[in-house]
Amino acid sequence: MSISVTFLRPFARFLVPFTLHRKSRNLYSTILQRNMSSKIPSLSYPNKESTSPPEQLELDGWKTTMKSSVREDVSTVSSNKDEDPLAATRELIEMWRLLGREVPEHITEDELKTVMECASKSSKKKYLKYLYIKEKVKKARQIKKEAKAAAREEFKKSKLLETTEEDKQQNFLFLRLWDRNMDIAMGWKGAQAMQFGQPLVFDMAYETHMTPKELQNTISQLLESEGSNRRNVDPFHIYFCNLKTDSAYHRELIKRYGEKWDKLLLTATEKSHVDLFPKDSIIYLTADSPNVMTTFKHDKIYVVGSFVDKHMQPGISLAKAKRLKLATECLPLDKYLQWDVGSKNLTLDQMIRILLCLKNTGNWEEALKFVPRRKHTGYLEVSQYSQEFINRMKKAKTFNSLSKGSLNGRTQKRWLE
Amino acid sequence: MTFCLSGIGSFAKLWKSNPVLLGRGHSYLSLFLTDFCGIRNQQRWFSLKTVSPQNTKATDLQIAKARYLRKDEGSNKQVSSDSSHLFLAGAAKKRSQMNPQSKDHALPPVKNTIELPTKPLNSKEWDKLKEDFKGKVNFESWISSQMAQCHSSVDVAKSLLAWVAAKNNGIVGYDLLVKYLHLCVFHKQTSEVIDVYEIMKARYKSLEPEANTLLIRGLIHSDRWREALLLLEDIKKVMTPSRKNYSDCIQGALLHQDVNIAWNLYQELLAHDLIPMLETLKAFFDFGKDIEDDHYSKKLLDILLYLRNNHLYPGESFAHSIKTWFESGQCSGCGKTIESIHLSPEEYEFLKGKIMRDVIDGGDQYKKTTPWELKRFKNFVKSCPPFDIVIDGLNVAKMFPKARESQVLLELVSQLAKQNLRLLVLGRKHMLKKSPRWRKDEMEMVREQASCFFADNISEDDPFLLYATLHSGNHCKFVTKDLMRDHKACLSDSKTQHLFFKWQQGHQLAIRNKFPGSGITFQHILSHDTVVQTTGDSWHIPYDEDLVERYSYEVPTKWLCLHRKT
Repeated sequence: MSISVTFLRPFARFLVPFTLHRKSRNLYSTILQRNMSSKIPSLSYPNKESTSPPEQLELDGWKTTMKSSVREDVSTVSSNKDEDPLAATRELIEMWRLLGREVPEHITEDELKTVMECASKSSKKKYLKYLYIKEKVKKARQIKKEAKAAAREEFKKSKLLETTEEDKQQNFLFLRLWDRNMDIAMGWKGAQAMQFGQPLVFDMAYETHMTPKELQNTISQLLESEGSNRRNVDPFHIYFCNLKTDSAYHRELIKRYGEKWDKLLLTATEKSHVDLFPKDSIIYLTADSPNVMTTFKHDKIYVVGSFVDKHMQPGISLAKAKRLKLATECLPLDKYLQWDVGSKNLTLDQMIRILLCLKNTGNWEEALKFVPRRKHTGYLEVSQYSQEFINRMKKAKTFNSLSKGSLNGRTQKRWLE
Repeated sequence: MTFCLSGIGSFAKLWKSNPVLLGRGHSYLSLFLTDFCGIRNQQRWFSLKTVSPQNTKATDLQIAKARYLRKDEGSNKQVSSDSSHLFLAGAAKKRSQMNPQSKDHALPPVKNTIELPTKPLNSKEWDKLKEDFKGKVNFESWISSQMAQCHSSVDVAKSLLAWVAAKNNGIVGYDLLVKYLHLCVFHKQTSEVIDVYEIMKARYKSLEPEANTLLIRGLIHSDRWREALLLLEDIKKVMTPSRKNYSDCIQGALLHQDVNIAWNLYQELLAHDLIPMLETLKAFFDFGKDIEDDHYSKKLLDILLYLRNNHLYPGESFAHSIKTWFESGQCSGCGKTIESIHLSPEEYEFLKGKIMRDVIDGGDQYKKTTPWELKRFKNFVKSCPPFDIVIDGLNVAKMFPKARESQVLLELVSQLAKQNLRLLVLGRKHMLKKSPRWRKDEMEMVREQASCFFADNISEDDPFLLYATLHSGNHCKFVTKDLMRDHKACLSDSKTQHLFFKWQQGHQLAIRNKFPGSGITFQHILSHDTVVQTTGDSWHIPYDEDLVERYSYEVPTKWLCLHRKT
């Protein structure tokens, strides 16, 4: 049988091109093949390979097996109710997975509902990709954990074999209670900062400007900032101002801190920073500010907006400061760094680290180490910057004096040309 | 002095360039005239005019002749040849090419250089190829996507599938099937598409949109095109079908003469707030050639109105289709005035309010200015009589980096002041401070010749510019080179954005000089609106040329002019 097929095919190909044009030729040959292959449904492939290895492959045989074989059950869930959009979405995700798209393998009901609520196809894909990555990370972590546990078991076993008899007394000065001691020490420092520390305000008035995701990022950054403040030699006294009870900020903070929230050594208040401190000692830090910060002042109260702005809405924090008539400053990033890419807005934890460093050392180079390396290509020589500045001034001056002086007519003429 | 404020005279350039299709179209007309015009004239709205001797040159896609001519023709010609208008198609492309910094992106290096087979291989050969292949990914899916990309022949792909099936108990994975389907659809192998469709139906309970899209595209050419509509329904279960899906279904319906289904699908498409592909609209016009039906004609005219309302411009071939449907092609050289660029009074008020609310205020007055400053500005504008020209002082002054700012500003102001125009110069307070770039005496002279308003250094001056111009009335123009895209983006909906764009085209004066001191000249202002338009007995349809890349803030320069037979 297979011989007849392989014989007929070349025949068809050979003969037809001279008579029919391309499209119909293909049609013709495929119909021919289909007829042939349907006549020989029971071709067993392993046999075929062994019988006629050098022959051309039989091209259409797979179709019959594909058609006849049982339906691949992609989703066993709720196959009875076809109308259910949830099931339809689940099937869609399953099919996408078969296609090698970035979608999660397992998905919960809640997540499925979120997928369905996504307005557009691209937002669906985006969310599914997020879930996919989350799942992947989780899985990788799980595997790592298991490997670690196994290694630990192994280690224990070998240790048990070796050191059963060698159990002699040793002299130690301290019990191994490092972590707790650290915590207590940091608590003391924190309490001191609450009494005598320099205030640092996080302004929590940006809830309406952020999406839920941005808000979550903000809270993560706040946690990180608080952590690095706690570990510092001379911590700030942190204020969370404009933190309304039961606002999204508040709920999320409580969720993340849990029990610890009430024992944190910082001041959380519903009041605004302008109510707590004299207006003229407040400096609002914002990248949009026209004023550049030159030194860290120990008698000022710095305000940082706790705001993650992924949608690029410039000028919001500057508007807030303008409204309250506060002084504003921005970090002298351009003065010290050769800026390359990325926005000048830094994350909250980078901000607090820079401020802490400035507070302790006053050294800008040291402080700006916390600016991500990817954003700049290196430090500018300060002398270089000032040199440039002087040059600019000089140029302007000669320009000025020239045009004022006797050469006035000539220079003007040159521009006019 | 080539400055030309009245805004006329822009026609000449716009309508001058010769139509590409003129010659061909003409012969077409003369060929077909004798046979068809008599038969069809009665049913059509627009019908052929007989070619009268004095009209022979104006036949096909003719660009209407300028009604108004510029006073100084010579300089005008020079203008149109060397510098392109800010808003006309292709200008941005040209500008970007002039910029030496932009370099071509290097092509990504080609990994994995396995030569794709050109003819079907047998299983041994496939095995060998697989051994040669070194890469992280699965060989089968990699090679099949390569083949899909390079449009290998269907037979090669089929041999691959046969090989995979042979290894795998006759089972072929879903992704391979989809890629094979892609090839079949690309090569228009309808019978293969149907085969794959059968297989997919048999094996999988439901498909995902990509496969459905391919199947739809493949099936519409076959007798089983109605099943494509079922597939469309399947897509609808999980998401909104794309406009391409609709386009395919509509074309399938038209291919099989089912006009009702096509129009229903079109309505559905619009109801989903999708913007139909121009291809879809073209298909309706192409199909319209063969049917004589007032109802259908009316719907086609509705499509033209849709183009108008959404500021869409047909492509070159679509314009051809429209023309063929009208079978007019008899350009009036009509001398009809194209719709004016000026807004109607209601539109004007609407835009003014919107600019005030969305651009200047924007929910937080502190963002771009401060309330007290805004008040100061409003009082200032109220106290002054309407202006003729509003100047963006900083934008103008920074035009020539080598010249002193205040000097450039002074030059422009005194030049305009000589024409007895009431000027307003907007700037920032730092311009008043004595500095080498801003000389006090020159600024004093500016203030003598024009009214000035200086905003805070951290406020934005563009919104004030827009408001002052709008407040002064329809005759008032503004001078800046800024394209104002960010302010346009602040407007909430596309309708207002279109209004803004139209107003901007009609009122923005952009400086054209490359060197200071030679007398400042402006780009002419478009005096007409570039939009699909009708006067009842004539249609003017701007269209995109195939070879010109048009940016979103530019408008086409070519027109299709259709005229009803009188």
